Amino acid sequence: MIKKNYLEDLNNSKKPFIIYRSNKGFDLYTDFSKKIILTKNNIEKFINQSTKLKSKKKETDLFIGFFGYEILNNLIDIKVKKQKGLKFPKGIFYKPETKLKLPNKLNYKNLGLVRTNKLFKININKSSYKVIFDKFKKKIKSGETYQIKICTKYSNKSKIDALDFFCRLVRSNMAPEAFMIKDINYSIISCSPENLIDKKNDFITTKPIAGTLKKTKKFNKIKALAFFKKNIKENKEHNMIVDMERSDLSKICKAGSVKILKEKIVEEYKDLYHYVSLIGGRLKNNTSSLEIVKAMMPGGSVIGCPKISTLNLLNVQEKESRNVYTGSFGYIKFNGDMRFNIIIRSILNYKNKSEISVASGVVIDSNARHEFNENYIKAKALIDLYK
Amino acid sequence: MIYIIDHKDSFTHNVVHQFENFDDVMCDNHNEINEDKLKKSKVIVFSPGPGAPKDYPRSSNIYKRFKGKKKMIGICLGFQQILHCEKGEIIQQKKIYHGYQSKIKVISENSLFTKNSKFKVGRYHSLKLKEPFAAKNFEITMRCDISNVAMAIENNKEKIYGFQFHPESFLTENGNLLIKKILSA
Repeated sequence: MIKKNYLEDLNNSKKPFIIYRSNKGFDLYTDFSKKIILTKNNIEKFINQSTKLKSKKKETDLFIGFFGYEILNNLIDIKVKKQKGLKFPKGIFYKPETKLKLPNKLNYKNLGLVRTNKLFKININKSSYKVIFDKFKKKIKSGETYQIKICTKYSNKSKIDALDFFCRLVRSNMAPEAFMIKDINYSIISCSPENLIDKKNDFITTKPIAGTLKKTKKFNKIKALAFFKKNIKENKEHNMIVDMERSDLSKICKAGSVKILKEKIVEEYKDLYHYVSLIGGRLKNNTSSLEIVKAMMPGGSVIGCPKISTLNLLNVQEKESRNVYTGSFGYIKFNGDMRFNIIIRSILNYKNKSEISVASGVVIDSNARHEFNENYIKAKALIDLYK
Repeated sequence: MIYIIDHKDSFTHNVVHQFENFDDVMCDNHNEINEDKLKKSKVIVFSPGPGAPKDYPRSSNIYKRFKGKKKMIGICLGFQQILHCEKGEIIQQKKIYHGYQSKIKVISENSLFTKNSKFKVGRYHSLKLKEPFAAKNFEITMRCDISNVAMAIENNKEKIYGFQFHPESFLTENGNLLIKKILSA
């Protein structure tokens, strides 16, 4: 068991650390012996070499960190024009020397004073959102994309206590892929619900979410499922993502092995229901980690479909860098096993600037005002942490 | 060997796995086509993809070169690609089907499939064939049960087949059987 004040002491020590949701509670990684900042030039080498290290047995024989959105585009040869925004690294991975288990209830209370700021600036207002929305709808009608996600960003200047934010966030919005990173000049806090890659030996699964329903007294899990099944728009969006993820897995899996393991089920969270499928397959012999990353990332459910033409449309439209948003956080073990999520519902705090990005999908029958408001609802749980 | 020409779609590898049930499969991007593979292949498949047939002149070129010489199969955009090469017009439809499951019906006696049989299929298309359409040896053999939009073409003489829907989608019933029949025709 860890000491009662362990988290407080760690947080005060200024030592970088990472917390990642596990089956029963959380795993904490710290005492980093290496920190690799990814660039276009070293990313392939990093992924390839990460599984060529000899030691494979210890719990800390892994690299943990994140790939940003831009570098994942570069990896599959998609150009992103020069964008505005924080000059934040495109990806960072750490080699931990210590791993500790933390309980479900994180014991930490912020006592010091920090200057947070409640006011946020949004980068796209309602009317410019409508313009982008209409432009993309035309692209759907001409068949260039079938579904595309418009990203909006809320930002402000704030000094935050990342650990305090994370503890409060998971108390109100526990999610299976929640994580936080705290380093000297930045922190990331996320309650991501979405697993993109879970790979053990030659078995790989992905668990896309498409469809979200806010919990009210009217609904229980069974009624939520009935709602999703009846809702043609939600079903179409979900179908598209299932076929796309099947195809992504098929690039690296043995023919005939890709199966839908759970088709359109409802998962219940504190404030919402998600419409989820689980798809898995057996990897072809000698599939490299790099091939897996390139086949699966960036995760399709938060981009749209088909992936490549939709990414190109997004990259022409978006003037501001997504940074970590819709990138992936997770780890690669030295034995080749991996776990990665999709970074959504996240806060990036860098040099005392905070940004929260959210996105919602445009399909042929979506409505601009509804999707704009939906974006705000998604951001609200995070914005509420600032007080 | 079956050679699949990929139009950078997010469903192409479902097509690859489906055809791998029956033969060896190679797959390359439409702008990285390998001439040797093209010549060695017994069957050429035009994959689904974004946009319209006019965006893929290389694929049209391949179709014209090998028409009558090899079996050719088109799926979704690939289906439209074949029609486009046969002077059919591809136009936007009012109601757009993306991720939609609908019932279709075999309407022709000359089809490889039983006339009047109905089954559910997955659809991802903004565009459709403008009708009337006529080309030598081609026949529209399946239609959407509700909207009547053309869903399959067969040219059993020159062994050219096309589906507007996606036989590889999890939304399509008996997709494997469909492909098996076409491949053994």
